[in-house]
Amino acid sequence: MRKQEKRAIICILIAVVLLGGVSLFVYRFIRDGNKWATFYGNTQIYTDGVLNRGTVTDRYDNVLINCTGKGVEYNSDWTIRCATVHAVGDPEGNIPSGAINAFQSQLIGYDLINGTYDTSTEGKRIKLTIDAKANAAAFKALNGRTGCVGVFNWKTGEIVTMVSTPAIDPAGAMPDDSGASYYFNNFLQGAMTPGSTFKLVTSAAAIDTVDDIDSFSFDCDGVNEYKGTDFTDVSTHGEVDFRSALAQSCNGAFGSITREVGASTMQKYVEKVGLTDSISINGIDTQAGSFKFPKDDSVKLSWAGIGQADDLVNPCAMMVYMGAIANSGEAVHPSLIKSATFLKEITGGMPLGKYLSSGTADTLKSMMKNNVKSNYGEDNFPGLDLYAKSGTAEAGGESNAWFVGFIDNEDDPYAFVVWIKGAGFGSEEAAPVARTVLNQLIADNE
Amino acid sequence: MQELISGILNFSELYPDLSKELTTVFRWIFVLLAVYILVRCIMSLLSTRPTPEVWGYFLVEDGGNFPITHWENVIGRSKSADINIPLKTVSNNQVILTRREDERWLIKDLGSKNGTVVNGMPLTPNKRYVIDIGDEIVISGVHCTIAPASLEEAANNRAMRKHDREPVAPWQILLAITLFQAMTIVQLILSMGDGVSAASLLSIAVLCGVMWVYIGVFKAMGRKGFEMEMIAFFMTTINLAVAASSQYGSAFRQLIAALIGIALMIFMCVYMRDLKRMRKVRPILAGLSVGLLLFNLLFGTMKYGAVNWVRIGSMTIQPSEVVKLAFIVIGAGTLEELYEKRNTILYAAFSLFCLGCLALMGDFGTALIFFATYLVVSFLRSGDLSRMILTVVGAAAMGLMVLRFKPYIASRFAIWGHVWDDPADKGFQQTRTLAIGAGGGQLGHGAGHGALEYVGASDTDLVFGFVMEEWGLIIAVLLVLCLITLTVFAVISIMAGRSTFYTIAACGASTMLLVQTILNIFGAVDLFPLTGVTFPFVSTGGTSLMTSWAMLSFFKAADMRRNASLVLRKEV
Repeated sequence: MRKQEKRAIICILIAVVLLGGVSLFVYRFIRDGNKWATFYGNTQIYTDGVLNRGTVTDRYDNVLINCTGKGVEYNSDWTIRCATVHAVGDPEGNIPSGAINAFQSQLIGYDLINGTYDTSTEGKRIKLTIDAKANAAAFKALNGRTGCVGVFNWKTGEIVTMVSTPAIDPAGAMPDDSGASYYFNNFLQGAMTPGSTFKLVTSAAAIDTVDDIDSFSFDCDGVNEYKGTDFTDVSTHGEVDFRSALAQSCNGAFGSITREVGASTMQKYVEKVGLTDSISINGIDTQAGSFKFPKDDSVKLSWAGIGQADDLVNPCAMMVYMGAIANSGEAVHPSLIKSATFLKEITGGMPLGKYLSSGTADTLKSMMKNNVKSNYGEDNFPGLDLYAKSGTAEAGGESNAWFVGFIDNEDDPYAFVVWIKGAGFGSEEAAPVARTVLNQLIADNE
Repeated sequence: MQELISGILNFSELYPDLSKELTTVFRWIFVLLAVYILVRCIMSLLSTRPTPEVWGYFLVEDGGNFPITHWENVIGRSKSADINIPLKTVSNNQVILTRREDERWLIKDLGSKNGTVVNGMPLTPNKRYVIDIGDEIVISGVHCTIAPASLEEAANNRAMRKHDREPVAPWQILLAITLFQAMTIVQLILSMGDGVSAASLLSIAVLCGVMWVYIGVFKAMGRKGFEMEMIAFFMTTINLAVAASSQYGSAFRQLIAALIGIALMIFMCVYMRDLKRMRKVRPILAGLSVGLLLFNLLFGTMKYGAVNWVRIGSMTIQPSEVVKLAFIVIGAGTLEELYEKRNTILYAAFSLFCLGCLALMGDFGTALIFFATYLVVSFLRSGDLSRMILTVVGAAAMGLMVLRFKPYIASRFAIWGHVWDDPADKGFQQTRTLAIGAGGGQLGHGAGHGALEYVGASDTDLVFGFVMEEWGLIIAVLLVLCLITLTVFAVISIMAGRSTFYTIAACGASTMLLVQTILNIFGAVDLFPLTGVTFPFVSTGGTSLMTSWAMLSFFKAADMRRNASLVLRKEV
């Protein structure tokens, strides 16, 4: 008997193999469970490879998309669908930066304890910060032109409007073409020539680094030849100082200011005000801008200082910079998720850094007010405490209209950016779009 | 039952949020109950330290006296002999001393070099003689005798056994299982709505009733130690829930299989009390097994790539499952039988026949289980490690041949470890098991809420994933721990075992259950190629569940706790 007793240990060895294998499996489960569970073949959450749960709403609980096992439902309004398609995305993943794709892991809601089990009774929801009606207003105001409109609350960082055109109706056919322009979000992914709006960056550098900027003076003859190159202006401005140079958007004067600031300081300032950074908006990365300020070519440097040459800016980064000017130089991290029961607000409302000293910000702010008063006309923006800069960027033989800035209304601290491709003058074409959207936002917020 | 279903459905229609929250909370309660039930049973089994009984003393001239703690004892020079006489003249394994039910002793010389003499009469080798206490035994010139355990000793013996740790009382655990079963019924209705079958739910209720009757009756007969049965009842509950939830399964059929299995287990326990009877029944079992396997080969139906099913009327059975029981009985033997060459050869021949039949059927998973069991049982019988290794090498070579000629099997080996490279085709089943199983998290989605059920063989080969999804990883792992516990318990109990028959049978049954579980789980989660065998007790499939229950009798036979084993007559 004793022999058999000893030999029985072999059974324990088999048990150890089983225990070891199961332990290895549990270890892998903990390590890779998330990856496994989000596999498209998991029919708990996917039907034919398409997510079958999750609802995305705007900040006022208007349902924008609702994924169910029976299919996907969109908002019933065509304009709202087109105006929010870039924010919401489509379950097929044609618009990767859309909420339904970018925040898919939140909608799946995998965690180690519950797996993909949804403990809520109302289903997984994501509430975006955008105002669908304001988006629709922006979409209508763009009126079929290619462009983008972005507005955010410069105190909390909530993006209240994000529209990019051309857009596509997600309820209709979504062609399988990842390069299609209607899948591209100009606001987050675009990088375009900033034109005169860039003078707000050059101005900030000049305020900080050019000692006698207050006594700056330039005589604009409308042609402004420098080293054989014409820095033509729309009209002859005559004698301008720093403030009126910005208000009139005098190219000749800003070419001169840029040369005084110098190439390396210009480079320092585009970095300082965040234009060369990519920002992560709840995990969606924006396109970083890019600039070239040559030290040995003062003509090209001058062009770069007035927002032409190789300057490329991302509209969202420009909007954040506007917010920083409004907020005494303090930039706020933009966010797209309002509140979802299962997700803490992570990055929204968080400081993004000190872009400008508060003195510099205040000076710029008063100059932007001056722009509105002396150039765009305060009467054109009733009810808006507006601070702005227009731009008309020349690129690819087209004049692209820009209008950037912010309002300092008490309950509506919004910074905005409007860009319309090939539309013409910024103050004439882009400014009315900004006015329409801001008025809609204020009306909805009451 | 129909009223209960419509009642609960009305409720969930009226309060959809509340019924959803009910499921959310139920998941926690299911896991807590399962942990309570299984941990208590497992702890009770593992804390067992059976006291060896002393049946008498073996007195050796000038060598002291040895307590005889087994019914079967080898006496010889070998260090591992139960009674060790370290003298050159004594053979390694000289004689076997066996206790009879009537408290007399049998002695048998194993063909020793210098012979054994009892009361002046030389023993013919390999022939049994009845001897009594006090008879003079001369082992290669050494004078020995058997002394009785003194009355005091016997009383002491009994007292010590009384001091053994008592098996856990069943009532609280039974209540917990009953609550678990009741909640399972409610949960299935909540999840499946109109899709649930009343017969399935009724089956769970009947199982609950059978459980109370079984334990109530045996408890009334003075028996104790029901941990193994409670584990089995729990696992069967999961089995019925899987069958009820799966679109292919039938909980009612599972219930019938479980009932037959329980009856078979009780019968086998009682039948195994008499080892002489077992010796006689063995050739009959061997003959029946051969017949069954041949019948399967001739009239079997192809299912999932293997011809291991036989259809009788509307019933399909898997003969190889039933043969598993015979395979263990035929492999096990009393100490005496282990020294009989003929017995060993017959066992090897029978094993070879079974393996051949399984290979012809294309059921290589089951063949592997039989082969592993054969290895373990032969090792227990002979202790010959080198022969074991040789057998494994030979089998591996055969295995390679199989891979060469069976592209179906080879492709399963090819995808092993790389299932995510081909999730649409060759890795389909495993990737679904992993993805949907992981989706279950620790607590599961609730019985009846499964997505894996739409994947082929989800309630059999992939049942581990099925349980992970609907019941959660914790319960799935607990089920594995239960099977491991049965094995550890069997090995612990062997120390006080009476006959090698029970020891070998328990080890054989352990090997079968463990290897089967290894192949099932490892195959489903890509730790091993998918072989398509069942998870004992849990996979749906009537024959498998019935055999699992019957297999439990071998573990009951190893249980040496006082009045715990049905295999032993009740002590007063």
